[in-house]
Amino acid sequence: MNRRHFLFGALASAGFAGCSRDQRPRLNVLNWSAYIAPETVPKFEAEFGARVRYGTYEDNEEMLARVMGGNSGWDIVFPTSYIVKPLLANDLLAPIHRELLPNLVQLEPRFQRPNWDPDLHWSVPYMVTAAGIAYNRKLSPPPQAWADLWDPRLRGRLTMLDDPFDTMGACLKKLGFSVNATDPAQLDRARAEAIRQKPLLRAYLNAEARDQLVSGDILVAHMWNTTAQQAMDSSPTVGFVYPAEGYAVYPDATVILRESKHQELAHRFINFLLRPDIAAANALTARTTTTNAGARKILPPAFRDNPTLYPAPDIVARGEWAITLDPATQRLRDRLWTEIKAA
Amino acid sequence: MNRLRAWFLAPSWTVVITLFLAPLAIILGYSFLTRGVYGGITAPWTPDSYQRLIDPIYLAILWRSFWIAGVSTALCLLLGFPLALFISRSGARKNIYLALVMLPFWTSFLVRTYAWMFLLRETGLVNTILQKLGLIHSPLPLLYNEGAVILGLVYGYLPFTVLPLYATLERLDRSLLEAAADLGAKPWATLTRVTIPLSAPGIRAGAILVFIPCLGAYLTPDLLGGGKSVMIGNLIQNQFTTARDWPFGAAVSLVLMAIVMVLLFTIARGEGESLL
Amino acid sequence: MKRARGAGLAVYAAAAFLFLHLPLLILAIFSFNASRFTIWQGFSLHWYSAALHDTELTDAAWNSLIIAAVATLASTVIGTLCAYGLWKRTSRPLAGSLYLSLVTPEIVTGISLLAFYQWIFRFLRVQLGMHTVILAHVSFSIAYVVIVVIARLRTVDPTLEEAALDLGANEWQAFRYVTLPAILPGVIAAALLAFTVSFDDYVITSLVAGVDSETLPMVIYAIARRGVNPIVNAISALIVLGFGSLVLISERLRSA
Repeated sequence: MNRRHFLFGALASAGFAGCSRDQRPRLNVLNWSAYIAPETVPKFEAEFGARVRYGTYEDNEEMLARVMGGNSGWDIVFPTSYIVKPLLANDLLAPIHRELLPNLVQLEPRFQRPNWDPDLHWSVPYMVTAAGIAYNRKLSPPPQAWADLWDPRLRGRLTMLDDPFDTMGACLKKLGFSVNATDPAQLDRARAEAIRQKPLLRAYLNAEARDQLVSGDILVAHMWNTTAQQAMDSSPTVGFVYPAEGYAVYPDATVILRESKHQELAHRFINFLLRPDIAAANALTARTTTTNAGARKILPPAFRDNPTLYPAPDIVARGEWAITLDPATQRLRDRLWTEIKAA
Repeated sequence: MNRLRAWFLAPSWTVVITLFLAPLAIILGYSFLTRGVYGGITAPWTPDSYQRLIDPIYLAILWRSFWIAGVSTALCLLLGFPLALFISRSGARKNIYLALVMLPFWTSFLVRTYAWMFLLRETGLVNTILQKLGLIHSPLPLLYNEGAVILGLVYGYLPFTVLPLYATLERLDRSLLEAAADLGAKPWATLTRVTIPLSAPGIRAGAILVFIPCLGAYLTPDLLGGGKSVMIGNLIQNQFTTARDWPFGAAVSLVLMAIVMVLLFTIARGEGESLL
Repeated sequence: MKRARGAGLAVYAAAAFLFLHLPLLILAIFSFNASRFTIWQGFSLHWYSAALHDTELTDAAWNSLIIAAVATLASTVIGTLCAYGLWKRTSRPLAGSLYLSLVTPEIVTGISLLAFYQWIFRFLRVQLGMHTVILAHVSFSIAYVVIVVIARLRTVDPTLEEAALDLGANEWQAFRYVTLPAILPGVIAAALLAFTVSFDDYVITSLVAGVDSETLPMVIYAIARRGVNPIVNAISALIVLGFGSLVLISERLRSA
């Protein structure tokens, strides 16, 4: 009898504890993991008297799965640029009101009119990543091109990204094609290359490869430049190179979801993110390239001249922006990726 | 009696119908629709998704899942039987041993899978110890392959065979074993000719409880397989996220369910009654 | 000969128990390792402190507890009533459906519930959240509760209830005052099982969780996907400790 009363009382008080509500306006922000400076959200909360719930995800697909239904509860998400169009096509985005974003002028010129949203009507660029090759400096000669990742000497000590666009993109580039290729013949050859490489692979890994590169489990990893930078921060034995054949570039953007009930507050948050000091802090923490010109000016020189994140112009020229593919091509690519993974 | 019984069963029926059968029906419907332009569902109705399944690549995935699940189940039964036998003969300390078997089960499945990630890495404990002992010179690739997946599955589901086997062995009529001994059978013969056949119900129950979850395994191949061994569970998850092809994912799910039901009807026809 | 075989079996059992428990023990030991890597670099409580100060982790743990508690309460009550009803006279459709829900692969249950919720949300203005997770957990826990309670019911003498009825009690009273006390240990065991299954669930929860309902397994999975991290070791050790004590306490209560 006593036991039951205690249990009941405990449950009741737990229920009541959860009921007490904060009266400040709430904003729900869903972002990539480790993609914001720790002070950014508290600063925003203090300045605007709001409360921010901040969630994270590891890849676009995870984010999409959560917001696709149109009633996920999130206000702001950060899709990679080529995901903006599918979100728009599924009627999931709220329009951006430029007049509420005076800090838009801080963006670099090339991001003022990006190819996926020239008028910035639906999205605001956030940061940029690219995919390249991270490697252990003990390797001699060090890898310089995608083709070097098919070297049999690397058997069992090599990982590729567990991402269809990235890995097929690497194969396409190795063959001299565009990362955004739509020609089925080209895609099929890329698939063949990937399958040819598979026996050499230790695994398909994303961020998980970082620790393994640092600890020496693997010697070479197909890696995003931000992850590689984090690895290099931990260990001087890690190096990074942008492959000679070219590489994919992924700007990501901030969008407001149509379901959001706090669109004005959401705009304020985006404007806040565009402040040079805030954008600089975010880029420093996340170890990424910022799209904000004002931020770039105030970055510490060591970071600003970092060749991994802010490479020389000729290397930048080799980069190719990923674009949204048409549904038929997307479907073909998905199928080819399944074939590669199942081989 | 029937009034009270009806009231007692009503809540369960409500939950089962709304939260189990209705969702399955919806998935059935989805499997006959078409993928929306950038994901989601639209008309028209078409059996397209099922036709796509009849393709060597998906059949290969199905075969691999059967293979991995089968090996894992066999290992679980092989490893679990002697353990169950031991416990059934241990007299007063039965409960302690049973608790020891179940203890890992009470911890998180995710944690138990992670434990193997931790142990099998190139710089993990197993490789470090083997190298220190001088048995190997360079680390063995223990992680990110089918073997690691099977190990993870066996480790996770071993208690599921021990319990039904124990339950059956405990109820075994000792006099039968004595009779066999009286007739001159050696202990090994008694084991293979009497004990094991008599524990068939336990073996069937254990096999079902392990094989089916292994068939639909998702976490273990995801974390221990290194993205290289795709099982049905991964394929389904992939269709609902990366590929955004809900109808196809639904079709694969229903085929999996059909296989499960066929297995249940053929192998475990009596087990369901005995369990419930 | 029998003695030798007995000894062989005992040795095997010892090895099997070692196999079952050693990985977790090692995980726990290394949660005290000052270094991230497998080389022991000194004893440290650093990872525990990091785990307990991580608000994402503690929020998720709290969510998991609340969800498990509510789901367990609901599924234990519903499941016990169901078990009793099935014990009186079986219902093949219901028993079959429950068994099916038990063996359905989690990924299928998860996506079917997600599809179901998305469909319902067109009519009701609701979102994914704690309630969707709790309902999902109730749905898959009931079968576990029914199995455990029915097993216990089978040890109860049905003539006891008949005697009560003969003495003038109605059916509800017969259940409440005769059978229920007899099966209470089984009900508690079932509740414990339901709690464990709910707390531990990853696959289904990750698909139907919303903004406010991130659970501990979801956070652990996210961290584990980024690589081996001693924080996970620390959390794992705490989880094992927590559930170990829960099992111990329930055993004490049962035999009390």
